[in-house]
Amino acid sequence: MIPAVASIDTASLVLFTLAVAAAATLLNLVPGIAAAWVLSRQGWRGRAVLETLVSLPLVLPPTAVGLALLLLFGRTGPLGRPLYERLGIDIAFTWRGVVLASAVVAFPLLVRSARSAFEEVDPRLPAVARTLGRGPVRAFFEVELPLAWRGVLAGTVLAFARALGEFGATILVAGNIPGRTQTLALALYQHVQVGRDREALKLAAISALLAAAALVLAEMVVHRREKTLAE
Amino acid sequence: MLGPAFIEIDLALRQGRFELAVSARLGKVAAVLGPSGAGKTTLLEAIAGLRPSRGRLAIGGEVLQDTAAGVFLPPEQRRLGYVPQDGALFPHLSVLRNLTFGRPHRHAGGDGFEALVGSLDLEPLFARYPRHLSGGERRRVALARALLARPRLLLLDEPTAGLDPLRARKALAGIRRVREELDVPLLVVTHGQQEALALASEVVLLDAGRVQAVGPARQTLLAPRVLAHDAERRWENVAAAHLVRHDAEGGTSEVRLDGGGTVTIPYSPDLAIGSDLILAIDAEDLLLATSPPSGLSARNAVAGHVEELIPVGTSVYARVGPWLAHLTPAAVAELDLAAGNPVWLVAKTHSWRVVAG
Repeated sequence: MIPAVASIDTASLVLFTLAVAAAATLLNLVPGIAAAWVLSRQGWRGRAVLETLVSLPLVLPPTAVGLALLLLFGRTGPLGRPLYERLGIDIAFTWRGVVLASAVVAFPLLVRSARSAFEEVDPRLPAVARTLGRGPVRAFFEVELPLAWRGVLAGTVLAFARALGEFGATILVAGNIPGRTQTLALALYQHVQVGRDREALKLAAISALLAAAALVLAEMVVHRREKTLAE
Repeated sequence: MLGPAFIEIDLALRQGRFELAVSARLGKVAAVLGPSGAGKTTLLEAIAGLRPSRGRLAIGGEVLQDTAAGVFLPPEQRRLGYVPQDGALFPHLSVLRNLTFGRPHRHAGGDGFEALVGSLDLEPLFARYPRHLSGGERRRVALARALLARPRLLLLDEPTAGLDPLRARKALAGIRRVREELDVPLLVVTHGQQEALALASEVVLLDAGRVQAVGPARQTLLAPRVLAHDAERRWENVAAAHLVRHDAEGGTSEVRLDGGGTVTIPYSPDLAIGSDLILAIDAEDLLLATSPPSGLSARNAVAGHVEELIPVGTSVYARVGPWLAHLTPAAVAELDLAAGNPVWLVAKTHSWRVVAG
Protein backbone atom coordinates (compact mmCIF):
# COMPACT_ATOMS: atom_id res chain seq x y z
CA MET A 1 0.00 0.00 0.00
CA ILE A 2 1.31 3.41 -0.95
CA PRO A 3 0.95 5.83 1.99
CA ALA A 4 0.66 8.94 -0.24
CA VAL A 5 -2.39 7.56 -2.01
CA ALA A 6 -3.96 6.59 1.27
CA SER A 7 -3.55 10.10 2.66
CA ILE A 8 -5.09 11.67 -0.45
CA ASP A 9 -8.02 9.32 0.01
CA THR A 10 -8.30 10.31 3.64
CA ALA A 11 -8.18 14.00 2.75
CA SER A 12 -11.01 13.72 0.25
CA LEU A 13 -12.95 11.60 2.73
CA VAL A 14 -12.57 14.32 5.37
CA LEU A 15 -13.53 17.03 2.91
CA PHE A 16 -16.59 15.12 1.75
CA THR A 17 -17.67 14.47 5.33
CA LEU A 18 -17.23 18.15 6.27
CA ALA A 19 -19.09 19.29 3.15
CA VAL A 20 -21.98 16.92 3.79
CA ALA A 21 -22.24 17.95 7.45
CA ALA A 22 -22.10 21.64 6.48
CA ALA A 23 -24.80 21.17 3.84
CA ALA A 24 -26.99 19.28 6.30
CA THR A 25 -26.53 22.03 8.88
CA LEU A 26 -27.38 24.77 6.36
CA LEU A 27 -30.42 22.82 5.27
CA ASN A 28 -31.56 22.60 8.90
CA LEU A 29 -30.92 26.21 9.85
CA VAL A 30 -34.09 27.96 8.67
CA PRO A 31 -36.63 25.19 9.43
CA GLY A 32 -34.81 24.43 12.68
CA ILE A 33 -34.93 28.02 13.94
CA ALA A 34 -38.54 28.34 12.79
CA ALA A 35 -39.55 25.14 14.58
CA ALA A 36 -37.66 26.22 17.70
CA TRP A 37 -39.39 29.60 17.74
CA VAL A 38 -42.83 28.09 17.18
CA LEU A 39 -42.25 25.53 19.93
CA SER A 40 -41.11 28.24 22.33
CA ARG A 41 -44.56 29.89 22.09
CA GLN A 42 -47.00 28.67 24.71
CA GLY A 43 -50.60 27.65 24.42
CA TRP A 44 -51.45 26.64 20.88
CA ARG A 45 -53.02 23.49 19.57
CA GLY A 46 -50.76 20.88 18.04
CA ARG A 47 -47.71 21.96 19.98
CA ALA A 48 -47.33 18.52 21.58
CA VAL A 49 -47.66 16.85 18.18
CA LEU A 50 -44.95 19.01 16.60
CA GLU A 51 -42.79 18.57 19.67
CA THR A 52 -43.01 14.78 19.37
CA LEU A 53 -42.41 14.85 15.64
CA VAL A 54 -39.31 16.99 16.00
CA SER A 55 -37.83 14.85 18.77
CA LEU A 56 -38.58 11.53 17.10
CA PRO A 57 -35.24 11.19 15.23
CA LEU A 58 -33.51 11.63 18.57
CA VAL A 59 -35.09 8.53 20.11
CA LEU A 60 -35.70 6.29 17.09
CA PRO A 61 -32.93 3.96 15.99
CA PRO A 62 -31.14 5.88 13.20
CA THR A 63 -31.62 2.84 11.00
CA ALA A 64 -35.39 3.21 11.39
CA VAL A 65 -35.12 6.86 10.37
CA GLY A 66 -33.01 5.77 7.41
CA LEU A 67 -35.56 3.17 6.40
CA ALA A 68 -38.38 5.73 6.57
CA LEU A 69 -36.34 8.16 4.45
CA LEU A 70 -35.53 5.42 1.96
CA LEU A 71 -39.21 4.56 1.61
CA LEU A 72 -40.13 8.24 1.20
CA PHE A 73 -37.28 9.32 -1.06
CA GLY A 74 -36.49 6.16 -3.01
CA ARG A 75 -37.24 6.33 -6.75
CA THR A 76 -40.61 4.71 -6.12
CA GLY A 77 -41.36 6.61 -2.90
CA PRO A 78 -44.11 9.25 -2.64
CA LEU A 79 -41.52 12.05 -2.51
CA GLY A 80 -38.68 10.41 -4.38
CA ARG A 81 -40.70 9.55 -7.49
CA PRO A 82 -41.84 13.09 -8.39
CA LEU A 83 -38.37 14.43 -7.60
CA TYR A 84 -36.82 11.92 -10.00
CA GLU A 85 -39.46 11.99 -12.71
CA ARG A 86 -40.05 15.76 -12.82
CA LEU A 87 -36.66 17.17 -11.86
CA GLY A 88 -34.37 14.25 -12.48
CA ILE A 89 -33.07 14.45 -8.92
CA ASP A 90 -32.02 11.25 -7.25
CA ILE A 91 -31.83 11.18 -3.47
CA ALA A 92 -31.26 7.58 -2.48
CA PHE A 93 -27.71 6.27 -2.88
CA THR A 94 -26.33 9.70 -3.79
CA TRP A 95 -24.55 12.40 -1.80
CA ARG A 96 -27.95 14.10 -1.48
CA GLY A 97 -29.15 11.09 0.47
CA VAL A 98 -26.19 11.48 2.83
CA VAL A 99 -27.06 15.15 3.38
CA LEU A 100 -30.74 14.36 3.94
CA ALA A 101 -30.08 11.54 6.41
CA SER A 102 -27.57 13.62 8.37
CA ALA A 103 -29.91 16.60 8.40
CA VAL A 104 -32.91 14.69 9.68
CA VAL A 105 -30.97 13.00 12.46
CA ALA A 106 -29.26 16.24 13.52
CA PHE A 107 -32.43 18.38 13.34
CA PRO A 108 -33.72 17.77 16.90
CA LEU A 109 -30.40 18.84 18.41
CA LEU A 110 -30.59 22.23 16.74
CA VAL A 111 -34.26 22.67 17.60
CA ARG A 112 -33.98 21.72 21.26
CA SER A 113 -31.08 24.01 21.98
CA ALA A 114 -32.50 26.93 20.00
CA ARG A 115 -35.90 26.46 21.55
CA SER A 116 -34.71 26.78 25.11
CA ALA A 117 -32.77 29.88 24.03
CA PHE A 118 -35.96 31.44 22.67
CA GLU A 119 -37.85 30.45 25.80
CA GLU A 120 -35.33 32.37 27.88
CA VAL A 121 -35.93 35.62 26.03
CA ASP A 122 -38.15 37.86 28.16
CA PRO A 123 -41.41 37.94 26.16
CA ARG A 124 -41.81 41.61 27.02
CA LEU A 125 -38.80 42.49 24.87
CA PRO A 126 -40.29 41.60 21.48
CA ALA A 127 -43.54 43.09 22.82
CA VAL A 128 -41.83 46.42 23.49
CA ALA A 129 -40.20 46.25 20.06
CA ARG A 130 -43.69 45.91 18.58
CA THR A 131 -44.92 49.00 20.40
CA LEU A 132 -41.85 50.84 19.09
CA GLY A 133 -42.98 50.24 15.53
CA ARG A 134 -41.53 46.86 14.61
CA GLY A 135 -43.65 44.24 12.90
CA PRO A 136 -43.40 40.67 14.21
CA VAL A 137 -40.72 39.69 11.67
CA ARG A 138 -38.45 42.64 12.40
CA ALA A 139 -39.00 42.21 16.14
CA PHE A 140 -37.79 38.64 15.70
CA PHE A 141 -34.65 39.57 13.78
CA GLU A 142 -33.79 42.65 15.82
CA VAL A 143 -34.59 41.39 19.31
CA GLU A 144 -35.37 37.70 19.70
CA LEU A 145 -32.74 36.21 17.41
CA PRO A 146 -29.86 38.38 18.68
CA LEU A 147 -30.82 37.47 22.25
CA ALA A 148 -31.21 33.75 21.54
CA TRP A 149 -28.10 33.79 19.35
CA ARG A 150 -25.89 31.78 21.66
CA GLY A 151 -28.36 28.94 22.08
CA VAL A 152 -28.97 28.87 18.34
CA LEU A 153 -25.24 28.69 17.66
CA ALA A 154 -24.72 26.01 20.28
CA GLY A 155 -27.51 23.96 18.71
CA THR A 156 -26.08 24.51 15.24
CA VAL A 157 -22.65 23.29 16.27
CA LEU A 158 -24.15 20.31 18.05
CA ALA A 159 -26.17 19.46 14.95
CA PHE A 160 -23.07 19.87 12.78
CA ALA A 161 -21.07 17.56 15.03
CA ARG A 162 -23.89 15.02 14.99
CA ALA A 163 -24.08 15.20 11.19
CA LEU A 164 -20.32 14.62 10.99
CA GLY A 165 -20.72 11.29 12.72
CA GLU A 166 -24.04 10.16 11.24
CA PHE A 167 -23.99 6.47 10.36
CA GLY A 168 -27.19 4.44 10.78
CA ALA A 169 -29.61 6.49 8.73
CA THR A 170 -26.99 7.30 6.11
CA ILE A 171 -26.04 3.72 5.36
CA LEU A 172 -29.68 2.84 4.69
CA VAL A 173 -30.50 5.87 2.54
CA ALA A 174 -27.20 6.28 0.73
CA GLY A 175 -25.34 3.02 1.13
CA ASN A 176 -21.61 2.95 1.66
CA ILE A 177 -20.18 3.72 -1.76
CA PRO A 178 -16.51 4.80 -1.64
CA GLY A 179 -16.00 8.04 -3.53
CA ARG A 180 -19.73 8.64 -3.80
CA THR A 181 -21.52 8.41 -0.48
CA GLN A 182 -18.83 7.23 1.88
CA THR A 183 -18.21 9.48 4.90
CA LEU A 184 -15.67 9.08 7.70
CA ALA A 185 -18.08 7.07 9.82
CA LEU A 186 -18.97 4.76 6.95
CA ALA A 187 -15.34 4.25 5.94
CA LEU A 188 -14.43 3.51 9.54
CA TYR A 189 -17.09 0.79 9.61
CA GLN A 190 -15.74 -0.68 6.39
CA HIS A 191 -12.17 -0.76 7.74
CA VAL A 192 -13.34 -2.54 10.89
CA GLN A 193 -15.27 -5.10 8.90
CA VAL A 194 -12.24 -6.12 6.88
CA GLY A 195 -9.93 -6.00 9.89
CA ARG A 196 -7.95 -2.85 9.04
CA ASP A 197 -7.94 -1.76 12.66
CA ARG A 198 -5.16 0.83 12.30
CA GLU A 199 -6.96 2.59 9.46
CA ALA A 200 -10.18 2.48 11.46
CA LEU A 201 -8.47 3.97 14.51
CA LYS A 202 -6.98 6.74 12.39
CA LEU A 203 -10.41 7.69 11.08
CA ALA A 204 -11.85 7.53 14.58
CA ALA A 205 -9.15 9.93 15.76
CA ILE A 206 -9.82 12.31 12.86
CA SER A 207 -13.57 12.23 13.60
CA ALA A 208 -12.96 13.03 17.25
CA LEU A 209 -10.62 15.87 16.28
CA LEU A 210 -13.12 17.42 13.88
CA ALA A 211 -16.01 17.28 16.34
CA ALA A 212 -13.86 18.68 19.14
CA ALA A 213 -12.62 21.48 16.88
CA ALA A 214 -16.20 22.45 16.03
CA LEU A 215 -17.17 22.57 19.70
CA VAL A 216 -14.10 24.56 20.70
CA LEU A 217 -14.62 27.05 17.88
CA ALA A 218 -18.22 27.63 18.92
CA GLU A 219 -17.18 28.06 22.53
CA MET A 220 -14.63 30.70 21.50
CA VAL A 221 -17.14 32.66 19.41
CA VAL A 222 -19.69 32.62 22.19
CA HIS A 223 -17.09 33.65 24.72
CA ARG A 224 -15.84 36.54 22.64
CA ARG A 225 -19.37 37.83 22.18
CA GLU A 226 -19.96 37.61 25.90
CA LYS A 227 -16.90 39.74 26.48
CA THR A 228 -17.95 42.44 24.03
CA LEU A 229 -21.40 42.53 25.60
CA ALA A 230 -19.92 42.95 29.03
CA GLU A 231 -17.80 45.92 28.07
CA MET B 1 -63.71 63.66 33.56
CA LEU B 2 -61.63 66.74 32.83
CA GLY B 3 -62.45 67.97 29.35
CA PRO B 4 -63.64 65.68 26.58
CA ALA B 5 -62.75 61.99 26.68
CA PHE B 6 -59.25 61.43 25.36
CA ILE B 7 -58.96 57.77 26.34
CA GLU B 8 -62.02 55.65 25.55
CA ILE B 9 -61.76 52.08 26.74
CA ASP B 10 -64.37 49.37 26.29
CA LEU B 11 -62.34 46.19 26.37
CA ALA B 12 -62.98 42.66 27.53
CA LEU B 13 -60.88 39.55 27.54
CA ARG B 14 -60.75 36.16 29.15
CA GLN B 15 -57.60 34.39 30.11
CA GLY B 16 -58.16 31.03 31.68
CA ARG B 17 -60.42 31.74 34.62
CA PHE B 18 -59.59 35.40 34.77
CA GLU B 19 -61.98 37.79 33.10
CA LEU B 20 -61.30 41.43 32.47
CA ALA B 21 -64.00 43.86 31.43
CA VAL B 22 -63.16 47.55 31.53
CA SER B 23 -65.18 50.52 30.36
CA ALA B 24 -63.89 53.99 31.08
CA ARG B 25 -63.83 57.48 29.56
CA LEU B 26 -60.78 59.33 30.70
CA GLY B 27 -58.96 62.59 30.11
CA LYS B 28 -55.30 62.95 29.28
CA VAL B 29 -53.70 61.99 32.57
CA ALA B 30 -55.14 58.99 34.34
CA ALA B 31 -54.12 56.19 36.66
CA VAL B 32 -55.37 52.63 36.94
CA LEU B 33 -55.24 51.72 40.61
CA GLY B 34 -55.82 48.34 42.14
CA PRO B 35 -54.36 45.50 44.17
CA SER B 36 -52.05 42.98 42.53
CA GLY B 37 -54.00 40.48 40.51
CA ALA B 38 -56.64 43.07 39.63
CA GLY B 39 -55.69 42.85 35.96
CA LYS B 40 -53.86 46.17 35.65
CA THR B 41 -50.94 44.90 33.56
CA THR B 42 -53.27 42.76 31.48
CA LEU B 43 -55.34 45.84 30.73
CA LEU B 44 -52.26 47.80 29.72
CA GLU B 45 -51.12 45.01 27.42
CA ALA B 46 -54.57 44.81 25.84
CA ILE B 47 -54.50 48.57 25.24
CA ALA B 48 -51.06 48.26 23.65
CA GLY B 49 -52.44 45.57 21.34
CA LEU B 50 -50.12 42.94 22.78
CA ARG B 51 -52.93 40.78 24.10
CA PRO B 52 -56.04 39.88 22.12
CA SER B 53 -59.21 41.45 23.48
CA ARG B 54 -62.69 42.26 22.27
CA GLY B 55 -64.30 45.66 22.19
CA ARG B 56 -63.39 49.19 21.30
CA LEU B 57 -60.45 51.41 22.07
CA ALA B 58 -59.98 54.98 20.92
CA ILE B 59 -57.20 57.37 21.90
CA GLY B 60 -57.55 61.04 21.06
CA GLY B 61 -60.40 60.25 18.70
CA GLU B 62 -58.39 57.66 16.75
CA VAL B 63 -60.00 54.22 16.83
CA LEU B 64 -57.26 51.68 17.46
CA GLN B 65 -59.56 48.75 17.91
CA ASP B 66 -63.22 48.07 17.27
CA THR B 67 -64.15 44.42 17.16
CA ALA B 68 -67.65 45.17 15.89
CA ALA B 69 -66.20 47.04 12.92
CA GLY B 70 -63.43 44.51 12.37
CA VAL B 71 -60.68 46.95 13.33
CA PHE B 72 -57.63 45.77 15.26
CA LEU B 73 -54.45 47.77 14.78
CA PRO B 74 -51.34 45.72 15.58
CA PRO B 75 -49.08 47.17 18.31
CA GLU B 76 -46.64 48.63 15.79
CA GLN B 77 -49.39 50.81 14.34
CA ARG B 78 -50.89 52.03 17.61
CA ARG B 79 -48.14 54.47 18.54
CA LEU B 80 -48.52 53.83 22.26
CA GLY B 81 -45.44 54.24 24.44
CA TYR B 82 -45.52 51.11 26.55
CA VAL B 83 -43.08 50.99 29.48
CA PRO B 84 -43.33 47.64 31.30
CA GLN B 85 -42.36 47.20 34.93
CA ASP B 86 -38.60 47.71 35.41
CA GLY B 87 -38.34 49.05 31.85
CA ALA B 88 -37.59 45.96 29.77
CA LEU B 89 -34.59 47.50 28.02
CA PHE B 90 -33.04 45.52 25.20
CA PRO B 91 -30.05 43.87 26.92
CA HIS B 92 -28.08 43.43 23.69
CA LEU B 93 -28.20 47.11 22.79
CA SER B 94 -26.38 50.06 24.32
CA VAL B 95 -28.41 52.76 26.04
CA LEU B 96 -28.09 54.99 22.98
CA ARG B 97 -29.35 52.27 20.65
CA ASN B 98 -32.18 51.51 23.07
CA LEU B 99 -33.13 55.18 22.98
CA THR B 100 -33.14 55.42 19.20
CA PHE B 101 -34.85 52.06 18.64
CA GLY B 102 -38.29 53.57 18.12
CA ARG B 103 -37.17 56.57 16.07
CA PRO B 104 -37.31 56.91 12.31
CA HIS B 105 -33.98 55.61 10.91
CA ARG B 106 -32.82 55.20 14.51
CA HIS B 107 -31.86 58.82 14.44
CA ALA B 108 -30.26 60.35 17.55
CA GLY B 109 -30.81 64.08 17.60
CA GLY B 110 -33.50 66.53 16.59
CA ASP B 111 -37.20 66.26 17.29
CA GLY B 112 -36.79 66.87 21.01
CA PHE B 113 -34.05 64.28 21.44
CA GLU B 114 -31.49 66.59 23.05
CA ALA B 115 -34.03 68.22 25.35
CA LEU B 116 -35.36 64.95 26.69
CA VAL B 117 -31.92 63.39 27.03
CA GLY B 118 -30.80 66.49 28.91
CA SER B 119 -33.87 66.60 31.10
CA LEU B 120 -33.40 62.99 32.21
CA ASP B 121 -29.59 63.28 32.32
CA LEU B 122 -29.06 60.32 30.03
CA GLU B 123 -26.03 61.36 28.03
CA PRO B 124 -23.49 59.90 30.50
CA LEU B 125 -25.20 56.53 30.07
CA PHE B 126 -25.17 56.37 26.25
CA ALA B 127 -22.36 53.82 25.86
CA ARG B 128 -23.43 51.57 28.73
CA TYR B 129 -25.42 48.37 28.48
CA PRO B 130 -28.62 47.82 30.49
CA ARG B 131 -26.99 45.25 32.76
CA HIS B 132 -24.66 47.97 34.06
CA LEU B 133 -27.45 50.40 34.95
CA SER B 134 -29.11 50.88 38.32
CA GLY B 135 -32.84 50.30 38.67
CA GLY B 136 -33.53 54.03 38.56
CA GLU B 137 -31.34 54.57 35.48
CA ARG B 138 -33.10 51.74 33.69
CA ARG B 139 -36.50 53.35 34.27
CA ARG B 140 -35.26 56.66 32.98
CA VAL B 141 -33.90 55.11 29.81
CA ALA B 142 -37.09 53.09 29.29
CA LEU B 143 -39.24 56.18 29.80
CA ALA B 144 -37.15 58.16 27.33
CA ARG B 145 -37.13 55.31 24.80
CA ALA B 146 -40.92 55.27 24.81
CA LEU B 147 -41.22 59.06 24.64
CA LEU B 148 -38.69 59.43 21.82
CA ALA B 149 -40.96 57.34 19.58
CA ARG B 150 -43.50 60.19 19.87
CA PRO B 151 -46.38 58.15 21.28
CA ARG B 152 -49.95 59.41 21.29
CA LEU B 153 -50.26 58.01 24.82
CA LEU B 154 -47.69 56.86 27.35
CA LEU B 155 -48.50 53.60 29.15
CA LEU B 156 -46.53 53.14 32.39
CA ASP B 157 -46.68 49.93 34.39
CA GLU B 158 -45.76 50.40 38.07
CA PRO B 159 -43.05 52.98 37.35
CA THR B 160 -41.53 52.84 40.83
CA ALA B 161 -41.97 49.16 41.72
CA GLY B 162 -38.81 47.78 43.27
CA LEU B 163 -37.12 51.15 43.74
CA ASP B 164 -36.06 52.35 47.17
CA PRO B 165 -37.96 55.41 48.49
CA LEU B 166 -35.34 57.92 47.37
CA ARG B 167 -35.12 56.56 43.83
CA ALA B 168 -38.89 56.18 43.64
CA ARG B 169 -39.21 59.84 44.63
CA LYS B 170 -36.75 60.92 41.93
CA ALA B 171 -38.45 58.68 39.37
CA LEU B 172 -41.89 60.14 40.08
CA ALA B 173 -40.54 63.67 39.94
CA GLY B 174 -38.87 62.87 36.61
CA ILE B 175 -42.05 61.46 35.14
CA ARG B 176 -44.07 64.48 36.29
CA ARG B 177 -41.54 66.91 34.89
CA VAL B 178 -41.07 65.22 31.53
CA ARG B 179 -44.78 64.61 31.08
CA GLU B 180 -45.46 68.29 31.59
CA GLU B 181 -42.57 69.39 29.37
CA LEU B 182 -43.72 67.21 26.47
CA ASP B 183 -47.41 67.50 27.30
CA VAL B 184 -47.82 63.80 26.55
CA PRO B 185 -50.99 62.00 27.64
CA LEU B 186 -50.44 59.35 30.29
CA LEU B 187 -52.10 56.22 31.56
CA VAL B 188 -50.22 54.83 34.54
CA VAL B 189 -50.87 51.56 36.32
CA THR B 190 -50.05 51.39 40.01
CA HIS B 191 -51.07 49.76 43.25
CA GLY B 192 -49.99 52.80 45.26
CA GLN B 193 -52.52 55.49 45.98
CA GLN B 194 -49.88 58.15 46.52
CA GLU B 195 -48.37 57.37 43.13
CA ALA B 196 -51.75 57.65 41.45
CA LEU B 197 -52.42 60.97 43.17
CA ALA B 198 -48.94 62.27 42.42
CA LEU B 199 -49.15 61.50 38.70
CA ALA B 200 -52.74 61.54 37.60
CA SER B 201 -55.80 63.72 37.80
CA GLU B 202 -58.21 60.84 37.20
CA VAL B 203 -58.30 57.27 38.41
CA VAL B 204 -59.85 53.98 37.43
CA LEU B 205 -60.17 51.66 40.40
CA LEU B 206 -59.79 48.09 39.24
CA ASP B 207 -60.41 44.96 41.26
CA ALA B 208 -60.66 41.37 40.03
CA GLY B 209 -60.91 42.53 36.44
CA ARG B 210 -63.79 44.92 37.06
CA VAL B 211 -63.99 48.69 37.35
CA GLN B 212 -64.99 49.68 40.89
CA ALA B 213 -65.04 53.41 40.26
CA VAL B 214 -63.86 56.01 37.76
CA GLY B 215 -63.48 59.74 38.11
CA PRO B 216 -61.36 62.64 39.32
CA ALA B 217 -58.60 61.11 41.42
CA ARG B 218 -59.06 62.55 44.90
CA GLN B 219 -62.84 62.64 44.75
CA THR B 220 -63.06 59.05 43.54
CA LEU B 221 -60.69 57.77 46.18
CA LEU B 222 -62.57 59.68 48.87
CA ALA B 223 -65.94 58.19 47.97
CA PRO B 224 -67.24 56.41 51.09
CA ARG B 225 -67.93 53.27 49.11
CA VAL B 226 -64.32 53.21 47.96
CA LEU B 227 -62.98 53.98 51.41
CA ALA B 228 -65.10 51.19 52.86
CA HIS B 229 -63.96 48.81 50.14
CA ASP B 230 -60.38 49.58 51.03
CA ALA B 231 -60.96 49.71 54.80
CA GLU B 232 -57.86 47.63 55.42
CA ARG B 233 -55.62 50.00 53.59
CA ARG B 234 -54.35 53.13 55.27
CA TRP B 235 -55.36 56.32 53.61
CA GLU B 236 -52.40 58.36 52.50
CA ASN B 237 -52.86 62.09 52.15
CA VAL B 238 -50.95 63.46 49.18
CA ALA B 239 -50.36 67.15 48.59
CA ALA B 240 -48.36 69.34 46.24
CA ALA B 241 -45.96 71.75 47.90
CA HIS B 242 -42.73 73.64 47.36
CA LEU B 243 -39.63 73.97 49.43
CA VAL B 244 -39.12 77.29 51.22
CA ARG B 245 -35.94 76.87 53.28
CA HIS B 246 -33.61 74.44 54.95
CA ASP B 247 -32.70 74.47 58.62
CA ALA B 248 -29.73 72.13 58.82
CA GLU B 249 -29.16 72.72 62.53
CA GLY B 250 -32.79 72.16 63.38
CA GLY B 251 -32.87 69.07 61.18
CA THR B 252 -35.88 70.30 59.27
CA SER B 253 -36.88 71.78 55.95
CA GLU B 254 -39.78 74.18 55.61
CA VAL B 255 -42.39 73.54 52.98
CA ARG B 256 -45.30 75.64 51.77
CA LEU B 257 -48.38 73.62 50.85
CA ASP B 258 -50.00 74.63 47.57
CA GLY B 259 -53.37 74.44 49.30
CA GLY B 260 -52.21 76.87 52.02
CA GLY B 261 -50.27 76.40 55.24
CA THR B 262 -46.65 75.74 56.07
CA VAL B 263 -45.24 72.53 57.49
CA THR B 264 -41.82 71.25 58.37
CA ILE B 265 -40.48 68.00 56.99
CA PRO B 266 -37.30 66.11 57.88
CA TYR B 267 -34.16 67.94 56.70
CA SER B 268 -33.70 67.03 53.00
CA PRO B 269 -30.61 68.85 51.71
CA ASP B 270 -30.82 67.13 48.30
CA LEU B 271 -33.97 69.11 47.51
CA ALA B 272 -33.39 72.56 46.03
CA ILE B 273 -35.04 75.65 47.53
CA GLY B 274 -38.12 76.46 45.47
CA SER B 275 -38.45 72.96 43.99
CA ASP B 276 -41.89 71.43 43.58
CA LEU B 277 -42.66 68.47 45.77
CA ILE B 278 -45.35 65.94 46.38
CA LEU B 279 -45.75 65.18 50.08
CA ALA B 280 -47.56 62.31 51.70
CA ILE B 281 -48.77 61.65 55.21
CA ASP B 282 -50.87 58.79 56.55
CA ALA B 283 -54.35 59.59 57.84
CA GLU B 284 -53.31 57.83 61.06
CA ASP B 285 -50.57 60.38 61.61
CA LEU B 286 -52.81 63.46 61.45
CA LEU B 287 -54.12 64.59 64.85
CA LEU B 288 -57.13 66.84 65.23
CA ALA B 289 -57.27 69.67 67.76
CA THR B 290 -60.30 71.83 68.41
CA SER B 291 -58.20 74.77 69.59
CA PRO B 292 -54.88 76.15 68.28
CA PRO B 293 -52.26 73.73 69.57
CA SER B 294 -49.58 75.09 71.90
CA GLY B 295 -46.82 73.50 73.93
CA LEU B 296 -46.54 70.69 71.44
CA SER B 297 -43.41 69.49 69.72
CA ALA B 298 -45.36 68.92 66.54
CA ARG B 299 -44.46 71.91 64.41
CA ASN B 300 -47.01 71.36 61.72
CA ALA B 301 -50.43 72.79 62.41
CA VAL B 302 -52.78 73.58 59.59
CA ALA B 303 -56.10 75.28 60.30
CA GLY B 304 -59.32 74.25 58.58
CA HIS B 305 -62.87 73.11 59.05
CA VAL B 306 -64.32 69.65 59.35
CA GLU B 307 -66.16 69.22 56.09
CA GLU B 308 -67.34 65.70 56.51
CA LEU B 309 -67.19 62.77 58.90
CA ILE B 310 -66.98 59.50 57.01
CA PRO B 311 -67.59 56.35 59.02
CA VAL B 312 -65.61 53.40 57.66
CA GLY B 313 -65.92 50.11 59.50
CA THR B 314 -65.21 50.73 63.16
CA SER B 315 -63.49 54.05 62.66
CA VAL B 316 -64.12 57.49 61.21
CA TYR B 317 -62.34 59.66 58.70
CA ALA B 318 -62.64 63.40 59.26
CA ARG B 319 -62.18 65.35 56.04
CA VAL B 320 -60.58 68.76 56.54
CA GLY B 321 -60.03 70.46 53.20
CA PRO B 322 -58.02 68.00 51.13
CA TRP B 323 -56.93 66.06 54.22
CA LEU B 324 -58.30 62.94 55.80
CA ALA B 325 -57.56 62.26 59.46
CA HIS B 326 -58.25 58.87 60.92
CA LEU B 327 -60.15 58.91 64.24
CA THR B 328 -61.87 56.54 66.59
CA PRO B 329 -65.60 57.08 67.26
CA ALA B 330 -64.60 57.76 70.89
CA ALA B 331 -62.36 60.65 69.82
CA VAL B 332 -65.15 62.09 67.66
CA ALA B 333 -67.49 62.01 70.64
CA GLU B 334 -64.91 63.41 73.05
CA LEU B 335 -64.06 66.33 70.76
CA ASP B 336 -67.73 66.73 69.95
CA LEU B 337 -66.79 66.92 66.26
CA ALA B 338 -69.34 67.84 63.66
CA ALA B 339 -69.21 69.12 60.13
CA GLY B 340 -68.38 72.83 60.11
CA ASN B 341 -66.28 72.83 63.29
CA PRO B 342 -62.99 74.74 63.09
CA VAL B 343 -60.08 72.41 63.74
CA TRP B 344 -56.29 72.28 63.56
CA LEU B 345 -54.49 69.40 61.94
CA VAL B 346 -51.27 68.52 63.70
CA ALA B 347 -48.49 66.19 62.58
CA LYS B 348 -44.98 65.29 63.62
CA THR B 349 -42.24 66.43 61.27
CA HIS B 350 -41.16 62.86 60.69
CA SER B 351 -44.64 61.76 59.66
CA TRP B 352 -44.23 63.66 56.38
CA ARG B 353 -42.72 61.86 53.44
CA VAL B 354 -41.54 63.34 50.18
CA VAL B 355 -43.09 61.21 47.43
CA ALA B 356 -41.78 63.14 44.45
CA GLY B 357 -39.14 65.82 44.33
